Amino acid sequence: MNKILVGENLVKSFGEGDERRNVLDGVSVEINEGEFVAVMGPSGSGKSTLLFALSGMDGIDSGKVTFDGEDMSALGENELADMRRTEMGFVFQQPTLLRNLTILDNIILPSMRDRRANGAEITSKARALMKTTGVAELENREITQASGGQLQRVGICRALMSDPKVIFGDEPTGALNSTSASEVMNLLGEIHRNGTTILLVTHDARVAARTERVLYLFDGKIAGEFLAGAYDEAGDDLKEREERVISWLAEMEF
Amino acid sequence: MYYRAIRNDILRNKAITLTIVAFVAAAALLVSLAAVLVVNLSGAIDGLMTQAKTPHFMQMHSGEMDHAQLAAFVAQHSEIADWQVLEFLNIDGAQIIFEGGSLAGSVQDNGFSVQSAKFDYLLDLDSNVIQARDGEIYVPIPYMQQGLARVGDRVQVAGKDFTVAGFLRDSQMNSLLSSSKRFLISQNDYAEISNFGKVEYLIEFRLTDPSALGAFEIAYAAAGLDANGPTITYPLFRMLNSLSDGLMIAVILLISALVVVIAFLCIRFTLLAKIEEDYREIGVLKAIGLRVSDIKKIYLAKYAAIAAAGSLLGFALSFVFRGLLLKNIRLNFGDSGNASLALALGILSVLLLFLVILAFVNSVLRRFRKIPPAEAIRFGIAQEQSRGGKYLRLSRSKLIGANVMLGLKDVLARKKIYATMLAVLVIAAFIVIVPRNLHNTISAPSFITYMGVARSDLRIDIQQTDDIAAKAADVAAAMESDAAIERYVVLTSRTFTTRLADGSEERIKIELGDHSIIPITYAAGRAPTAENEIALSVMNAGELGKQVGDVIPVMIAGQERNLTVVGTYSDITNGGRTAKAVFTDTTADIMWSVVSATLADSSLTGAKIEEYAGRFEFAKVSSVDEYIVQTFGATMTAIGKASRVAAGVALLITVLITLLFMRMLIAKDRYAIAVMKAFGFTNSDIKVQYVARAVFVLLIGIILGTLLANTLGEALAGAAISSFGASTFAFVVNPVEAYLVAPLLMVGSVLVATMLGTLDAGKIKISENIKE
Repeated sequence: MNKILVGENLVKSFGEGDERRNVLDGVSVEINEGEFVAVMGPSGSGKSTLLFALSGMDGIDSGKVTFDGEDMSALGENELADMRRTEMGFVFQQPTLLRNLTILDNIILPSMRDRRANGAEITSKARALMKTTGVAELENREITQASGGQLQRVGICRALMSDPKVIFGDEPTGALNSTSASEVMNLLGEIHRNGTTILLVTHDARVAARTERVLYLFDGKIAGEFLAGAYDEAGDDLKEREERVISWLAEMEF
Repeated sequence: MYYRAIRNDILRNKAITLTIVAFVAAAALLVSLAAVLVVNLSGAIDGLMTQAKTPHFMQMHSGEMDHAQLAAFVAQHSEIADWQVLEFLNIDGAQIIFEGGSLAGSVQDNGFSVQSAKFDYLLDLDSNVIQARDGEIYVPIPYMQQGLARVGDRVQVAGKDFTVAGFLRDSQMNSLLSSSKRFLISQNDYAEISNFGKVEYLIEFRLTDPSALGAFEIAYAAAGLDANGPTITYPLFRMLNSLSDGLMIAVILLISALVVVIAFLCIRFTLLAKIEEDYREIGVLKAIGLRVSDIKKIYLAKYAAIAAAGSLLGFALSFVFRGLLLKNIRLNFGDSGNASLALALGILSVLLLFLVILAFVNSVLRRFRKIPPAEAIRFGIAQEQSRGGKYLRLSRSKLIGANVMLGLKDVLARKKIYATMLAVLVIAAFIVIVPRNLHNTISAPSFITYMGVARSDLRIDIQQTDDIAAKAADVAAAMESDAAIERYVVLTSRTFTTRLADGSEERIKIELGDHSIIPITYAAGRAPTAENEIALSVMNAGELGKQVGDVIPVMIAGQERNLTVVGTYSDITNGGRTAKAVFTDTTADIMWSVVSATLADSSLTGAKIEEYAGRFEFAKVSSVDEYIVQTFGATMTAIGKASRVAAGVALLITVLITLLFMRMLIAKDRYAIAVMKAFGFTNSDIKVQYVARAVFVLLIGIILGTLLANTLGEALAGAAISSFGASTFAFVVNPVEAYLVAPLLMVGSVLVATMLGTLDAGKIKISENIKE
């Protein structure tokens, strides 16, 4: 299978002098095209740092990241920005929407950056996505006029606008109640079934239970891997998958 | 806890904190300097006037003196403590020759006196009463400041040689604004040169009770005593003495007001930004039960620290500069003896500034009350600030691009914050444009219309010479036979006496001749054409209370004749008090003559000036442009220099404030920038957004500033100029300077500052600002 995202021997450290420590301490990961992968681990284990390093948002001290066959370390800041805008999608724990813009404008913001962009086409695409994700009626609202769950779905719409090859999620359900979280995860599941690769960071076993593969990060290293297999919303018992993840996490001393 | 919070915050925003400290320090420096100067000036003037025993009332008189009548008057008035009549020997400036040249061009009445016996002493620089020996001359301080003389120099007066023995402080005539200057010589020398000048008398009184001065003035006027000359009283001497240094103090106060305003603007927008940044935190503090006053304290403490540092620094610096500024006051008036009062007032003024800053910070912090905790915690931003710019939709941004659109939307959404920058830019544009326009107006050929003079090619002034009438006739004869001269006119100014409504008499200068040959522009009415008509300068008309159509009585050849006012015109020369008429009277004192001419071919002007200057050495021959330069050259240069300094300062402030503002915005918008970067916006995209914001605000600022300059600025300049005697005033605007160069300079400054200020945007790490 084609490897869409490869990290080799990633090292990233923070702090000064004696307090300097490696948050990523030689991590290597491979994500296959069309895969749905979760990264778990205790607080401070380097989960988010790994995600930021793999998406080119943050530099690394050493190692190499390859995205769709391209060595990201060879790219400049502008090329990395272009790559994030056209080939990647991001969903964060907080909605990360701009307050001066309406919900629709927030969704189309990255796509409109290109001066040759066709505003009408982009807008109709955004409207279609809003309809699919159930936030169509929010189009002209301010971001302060929507719930947390709604805003997270808006964030997913924005991530989907460029038909990304990979969606990165940093605790995308972390700030949501269980109903909203479940809705968001259903949505991500559907996106995955349509062929998009998803890599997300979570501390929630129920979220991880919906993914195909779980990586366990500890002290800046991959400490274990759990292969859960594809989740079938209709046929699989989510509770049972979650318990399997929990017992694996217990083995990992989570 | 406060200390740690303040320290951390200051360390995080070093540049911003330093800028505010600098502005507060500048304000404190200027305010305390002004206070110190006021105390010292008034103390020094009081000291000088006490030591010199300045008269409480002085009547200048030229002509015969009736000593018996004066003595009778004194005998009847017990309120007179002391009195005397001093002589002031007025000698033409051309007869007073310093090593560096004569005083021929001096606008002052230069006169010689001996030391007074009773009061009104002339003092040396140590404030001692001078006793001049034969051959010694003491020179007024203003001439020392102009560098005309040094101790030991030779001075020739009416052919007699003197040695400069020192300089004198004259409590009456020290000021350049006073039109006379007294030199001190010995009694013997005075007798020797007394034939070479015209004696004027200074009739001086000191009263037992100076507060009864008003009544004494009335009594003196009513007694019909000698009074051919100005009357000056103690308070007027005091005012004349304080005016030039007082103006300096006024300018310092004006600048300090401006600096205080800028300091306040800086404080306001850093505070607003900080509140926006801490919005959630403030909500949390309120939610957990802290009172608004408790939360305010944290912010107040920081600004108290900044204001205290700035105030102390400014006060300390004032000690460095005060010596420099006090030098002039010390030289002119001596020591004030008020050192402790000056110190106290200096401290008090700085303290006041400090308190005003705290009160201002406190008032800005009032908006804490309006922060609803629940909303603040949930959204972390003020709800009302997301309004504005609603109609700017990204989906319709094709024309200007998403980045520019985002910039514009941000300005419209956060008007309060940008209003501060706008205010600074409006003020800056105003300061750049108004002095420039004023300079252009004064330099423009059309400015002649404010001077009561017509546009002609050639202007020949005949003054300060004997037999002016004959000399003017010579010039006229030469012009008559000169084919190159198209038209010419001889206008002679003579002094007459007019009677006011209250019966008192006033001197009036009337320019006689045919005013229709080379006409001037009249503010109202027309030129006088008949013998019984007169035109008055705007200022004269105002003072005499006359309008077009009114009648004014003038003593002509010993007879009182009623002249009808047929016109008024602007005139800012000769104190603004002039008149024009066509009647002839050869008996009144002639003051000067002017021969104006137009040439058939005005390209010959240069050659004709040379020709006439060579032929009539007694006359001053110039083109009208030169005449303006000669009359207002110093003012024009000063305003030109001031306009350049003002523009420089305004641009500097623009750069500084924009820089500060952009850095602060970037610091505050870290999160939004990180989000945009995460979703694929490059650093140059971000920069474009900030440039768009700055340019948008700047354009509004330039438009408002220009409008304001052409309305309020014109009105202000007009008010200033009308005080010199102009009727209406309109700026002569150089469109290239005002509408192209000035805006371009401002755009350039703002762009440079924005580029520098947004450098930090590139350093913002997505991971540090967005990671959960």
